[in-house]
Amino acid sequence: MKGIEGLKAWQAAIQEQRDPDATWIAVCAGTGCLSQGAADLAAALREALIRHSLEGKVEVKETGCRGFCEQGPLIVIHPEGIFYPQLKAADAERIVSETILRKQVIEDLLYQDPVTGRRHIHEGDIPFYQKQMRLVCRLNGVIDPTHIGDYIVHGGYQAAAKALFEMEPVQIVEEIKRSGLRGRGGGGFPAGVKWESCRNAHGEPKYVICNADAGDPGAFMDRSLLEGNPHSIIEGMIIGAYAIGSHEGYVYVRNEYPLAVRNLQTAIERAEAHNLLGDNILESGFDFHLKINRGGGAFVCGESTALMASIEGRVGEPRAKYVHTVESGLWNKPTNLNNVETWANVPLVIEHGADWFSAIGTETSKGTKVFSLVGHVNNTGLVEVPMGITLREVMFDIGGGVRGGRHFKAVQTGGPSGGTIIVDTTGAARPAEDRDEHERGPALVPESLIDLPVDFESLTEAGSMMGSGGMIVMDETTCMVDVARYFLNFLTEESCGKCTPCREGIRNMLAILERICDGRGQEGDIDLLQEMSDTVADTSLCALGGTAPNPVLSTIRYFRPEYEAHIRDRRCPAGVCTALIEYSINATKCTGCHACFKACPTDAISGEVKAAHVISTAKCVKCGSCLDVCKFDAVVKQ
Amino acid sequence: MPTLTIDGQTVEVEEGKTILEAAEQLGIEIPTLCHHPLLEAYGACRICTVEMQRGKRVRMVTACNHPAQEGIEVQTRSPRVLRHRRMIVELELGRCADLPVLRKLADDLGIDRSRFGTGEHECILCGLCVRTCWELVGARAISFANRGTDREVTTPYHEFSDACIGCGACVAICPTGVLKMEDIKGRKVIHSELTLGPQRAIRIPFMQAVPNAPFIDPDECAHFTTGECKVCAKVCPRDAVDHQMEDQFEEIEVGTILVATGHDVIDCSEMLRYGYGLYDNVITGLEFEKLSHATSPTGGKILMSNGEPPKSVAILHCIGSRDENYKEYCSRVCCMYSLKFAHLVREKTGAEVYELYIDMRSAGKGYEEFYKRNLEEDVVFIRGKGSEITTWPEAPGEEGKLVVKCEDTLLGTVRRLPVDMVILSPALQARADAAKVAQTFGLGCSRDGFFLEQHPKLGPVQTASDGIFIAGTCQGPKDIPDSVAQGAAAAANILSLVDRGSVVIEPITSVVEETTCGGCRLCISVCPYDAARFDEEKKVSVVDEAVCKGCGTCVAVCPSGAAQQRFFADTEIMAEIDGLLAEIGDRHQFPA
Ligand SMILES: Cc1cc2nc3c(=O)[nH]c(=O)nc-3n(C[C@H](O)[C@H](O)[C@H](O)COP(=O)(O)OP(=O)(O)OC[C@H]3O[C@@H](n4cnc5c(N)ncnc54)[C@H](O)[C@@H]3O)c2cc1C
Ligand SMILES: Cc1cc2nc3c(=O)[nH]c(=O)nc-3n(C[C@H](O)[C@H](O)[C@H](O)COP(=O)(O)O)c2cc1C
Ligand code: SF4
Ligand code: SF4
Ligand code: FES
Repeated sequence: MKGIEGLKAWQAAIQEQRDPDATWIAVCAGTGCLSQGAADLAAALREALIRHSLEGKVEVKETGCRGFCEQGPLIVIHPEGIFYPQLKAADAERIVSETILRKQVIEDLLYQDPVTGRRHIHEGDIPFYQKQMRLVCRLNGVIDPTHIGDYIVHGGYQAAAKALFEMEPVQIVEEIKRSGLRGRGGGGFPAGVKWESCRNAHGEPKYVICNADAGDPGAFMDRSLLEGNPHSIIEGMIIGAYAIGSHEGYVYVRNEYPLAVRNLQTAIERAEAHNLLGDNILESGFDFHLKINRGGGAFVCGESTALMASIEGRVGEPRAKYVHTVESGLWNKPTNLNNVETWANVPLVIEHGADWFSAIGTETSKGTKVFSLVGHVNNTGLVEVPMGITLREVMFDIGGGVRGGRHFKAVQTGGPSGGTIIVDTTGAARPAEDRDEHERGPALVPESLIDLPVDFESLTEAGSMMGSGGMIVMDETTCMVDVARYFLNFLTEESCGKCTPCREGIRNMLAILERICDGRGQEGDIDLLQEMSDTVADTSLCALGGTAPNPVLSTIRYFRPEYEAHIRDRRCPAGVCTALIEYSINATKCTGCHACFKACPTDAISGEVKAAHVISTAKCVKCGSCLDVCKFDAVVKQ
Repeated sequence: MPTLTIDGQTVEVEEGKTILEAAEQLGIEIPTLCHHPLLEAYGACRICTVEMQRGKRVRMVTACNHPAQEGIEVQTRSPRVLRHRRMIVELELGRCADLPVLRKLADDLGIDRSRFGTGEHECILCGLCVRTCWELVGARAISFANRGTDREVTTPYHEFSDACIGCGACVAICPTGVLKMEDIKGRKVIHSELTLGPQRAIRIPFMQAVPNAPFIDPDECAHFTTGECKVCAKVCPRDAVDHQMEDQFEEIEVGTILVATGHDVIDCSEMLRYGYGLYDNVITGLEFEKLSHATSPTGGKILMSNGEPPKSVAILHCIGSRDENYKEYCSRVCCMYSLKFAHLVREKTGAEVYELYIDMRSAGKGYEEFYKRNLEEDVVFIRGKGSEITTWPEAPGEEGKLVVKCEDTLLGTVRRLPVDMVILSPALQARADAAKVAQTFGLGCSRDGFFLEQHPKLGPVQTASDGIFIAGTCQGPKDIPDSVAQGAAAAANILSLVDRGSVVIEPITSVVEETTCGGCRLCISVCPYDAARFDEEKKVSVVDEAVCKGCGTCVAVCPSGAAQQRFFADTEIMAEIDGLLAEIGDRHQFPA
């Protein structure tokens, strides 16, 4: 196959074979849906089709993640675009016999809005999707990631062909620079600037790497992209490699993501087989070889220097970056590392042009950003929004607001490794060296900042940050000291242990937080935490340690009274820290229904039927079962 | 050449230097824990953190690996730096409380007690060992394992690693002393016998060695056994280590030779009943000499292998000497040095000492007096040869002891002596290579293998070969004074020859007639003085007249008659015979 023409001819050939009016079913086979039984559902659908003699006529396609994971397993029936969420294998028969054969929408399988109670037929009508702008994720849920033809038919690899045949490398770098595309891995470093430095760096060979470590717990956008549309990443890397002058690339992906590894592996093989990867791509004279490197699943391996060490076969631990990796990275050669989502944006920029791309978003933050929206919101899942959308829109319009009618308390962005916001009251806690390239991490946005636009600068100014795309919404039942403890616990385990402040500092900070949560907090603990944060942030070797104190500092900054309540009053206002809460029964509300009596695993509740019950504090293990079963709000947690 | 300021002082440094090196240049000390000039900067301990300003931007950086760049301003003791330094040391103390390296840093920073407890780790995870193994040695046998607080230095899967070449470089570099050889590898441990301690592959042979320079023992050296390491070459500031160097054979032309090749001692492990090599605390006289020497691994202290001083010691004379199964002769020196040992043990440890002897031979100036002195020092003398050593207890008090069995010929009983340590006095014997040396120098050997002197009374240092002398124990067992006396005598003989500048040689020597010599080399093989050699070019034998004693053996064997003795050539003898016969013939007429 040669050049754009060859590619377009292939696309046309596939289009010709396909009937645009044919009925087909897209079954979401993202990791979320698979874990909820999508594979069984697909099999059941196929069986049902056979039963109705529709095999070969109606195709069942297993696609990548559609984002609305919470509603899985879910399908979309094309060409009508009928959306059925939360299916079971048993629904297959009805779907085939009613919707496929008789073109009838099954009302009770449709999505029902939890807020308004309305049912919607199409994805596009659902609030969760309405405010999204799915560009990077546009083909997730549409194509079968293991079929290169699906990608080709949607114009796949044409951006790469355009770059190879119609553009000079420098021109591409310029285009990316002009587009304003910034790194999606956390730091928001302008991708074009990085490419340019790498292109200009001395040394051969040069390498390009895709950082698909995706180690943030709960943040699964990179993984979903790899699983659902691996070709877009390969295409982005071909363009980048050509622009930079590299002929060898690596995708560093966790071994724990077998589907991602498998789909990517298949995609690379298919691309190679079709001369889209390897020597003399599309007969352009440009060679580019791509290899997969499987990581062992350490969070710190997502850090650029640790990742490179790991590819080199050394212990995955960071090193100082006083000399940047674009100059001396993998095997001390110029290396350009970008995040999965960053690479996936590249073909879009080249295909539609920098002007098109930079029209989306805000002054300084262009394009879209994929978030994994989790926590106490009604609609959790993967969302792609244009930069500049407000937090309120993300959480309330897309996310459907706080679950269970509770109050919103805070939102945390950027994963556990600490944010770049400077929330230390002394102003001293600044992230460690080289903050520019890999800033990431969580920051808590308190309720007052809920109308903040989501873009790199606004979030940073407000003391929060974009981060890698994790967005955890917390309601009033969240204890902020406990949140800090949770993140530090994660970081203690994930610190590589190379440098002293991070290894010993986080461990000791965690010990202090644990004692506060345990009701053994001491006067001065808050100051000590701040003092330690100062050193850990200032002197740690890499950004993991450098930003680790941020969950502590930002919770202290915005929720100091909560800390004080724990330490001084031995009280957890959110009622989370078990050592500090007590359950009791409000005698006036208690109807004596006896439900709690039965639920209590330790027989701590006594009382006659129809008389007020009491809880024996000595026997109570604070499991909360009574609170859950009481229909009369009589159980009080304090 | 970048110029920067450190604590207000300006300094110009070479391109590529670090802030730490620049500070050193100014004499400003920045504490470090994980840094070593021979290793690539690592930046793990963060103790060396300093404050750096470039333009308006102030950052905390580590001095050990941040380049000394043009125009930067560095503060090494600003309040912010000291605050962090204190916190880091406090955190380290919370991990390893009792380490001297940390204690010293803490004292310097005025930290009394860490708020983070008193940790019991011994490893500060500085990584010096790991990096030495990877960067300098190249063996890659140890590395860090596990993340976070579980991080540790170990071999893969905590198992004995074949990658370890046992060079010990990691042990040498560890600032805390936590790393020990056995931890890394069971291969090479503390009791290499004769040396009583770890033998370094590169070492000065012994205290008084001339020249007093180290050499590399290729059998021990990791480089020669694995092809890697070469740490010594990397650390030598004078670039003096050369692994390419090889043994060289040189030919020196000399007029006289003194052979003083000394003796061997008999191998005690052959005599199984003494348990040498089996029991830790049975040692030989030579090992005792090493042990009690000031340069020994114990610093001259007499200690058992468990590091404790012995409470009782038995010294066994005549091990292999005066014994028909081994050496019939008396080794002459053992009685006296055994007395010396007894004296030393009494003096250094106060232990009970038993001397087990056949006869006490203390002939020599002052020797008998020394024997008396030992008697006064309460050394127990038992007349009777030690016959066996066992660890099998038969009576109370023998458990855990070495039991020496002997026949006390004065008491007429068999005795069992439970002791902590036994010193064997092995026989002196001719060196293993004595026969070869004898052949090389044309020396004779007596029945016991020692070299033969020309005459026991009239030529004690001369040999059958002129210009070749012998001295010391290569001639027979003797002590140092006797050896020195012989050496001096030989030297006097040699000097008189050297002084004369020429030697008078025998007039009657052999010559080989070039034209008739067939090149069979029979003469060379029979010459007892090695005087004949082969001229490869002319393909004939040649006799060195300076060496030839004119014995005529070659003349007798030469099949072609080419070898002839001066003044006794065949023609000359025949002529003489003819002459004689002519005279007789004149007088008597024989019938034809
Ligand atoms: C355990 C013990 C304790 C002793 N204690 C005492 C004591 O207290 N007082 C005392 O007076 N005597 C003592 N002696 C005796 C003393 O060791 C000898 O008298 C003395 O060492 C003899 O000296 P030497 O130079 O003849 O031989 P050595 O000391 O044996 O030296 C010979 C040297 O020649 C070298 N050599 C060998 N072959 C060659 C070759 N082919 N080419 C080049 N070099 C070669 C050897 O390496 C060696 O360095 C003791 C002996 C023993 C075994
Ligand atoms: C502890 C740590 C973990 C990181 N993990 C990831 C990760 O999982 N994925 C990622 O893309 N970037 C991760 N980063 C950020 C990378 O170091 C790097 O900045 C980024 O991949 C650069 O790509 P970009 O410019 O396209 O964002 C991590 C950084 C740190 C300090
Ligand atoms: S900051 Fe933490 S993760 Fe980073 S190098 Fe130091 S110990 Fe390792
Ligand atoms: S064993 Fe010694 S050299 Fe190795 S890391 Fe620990 S303290 Fe450092
Ligand atoms: S000496 Fe610089 S970080 Fe350890």
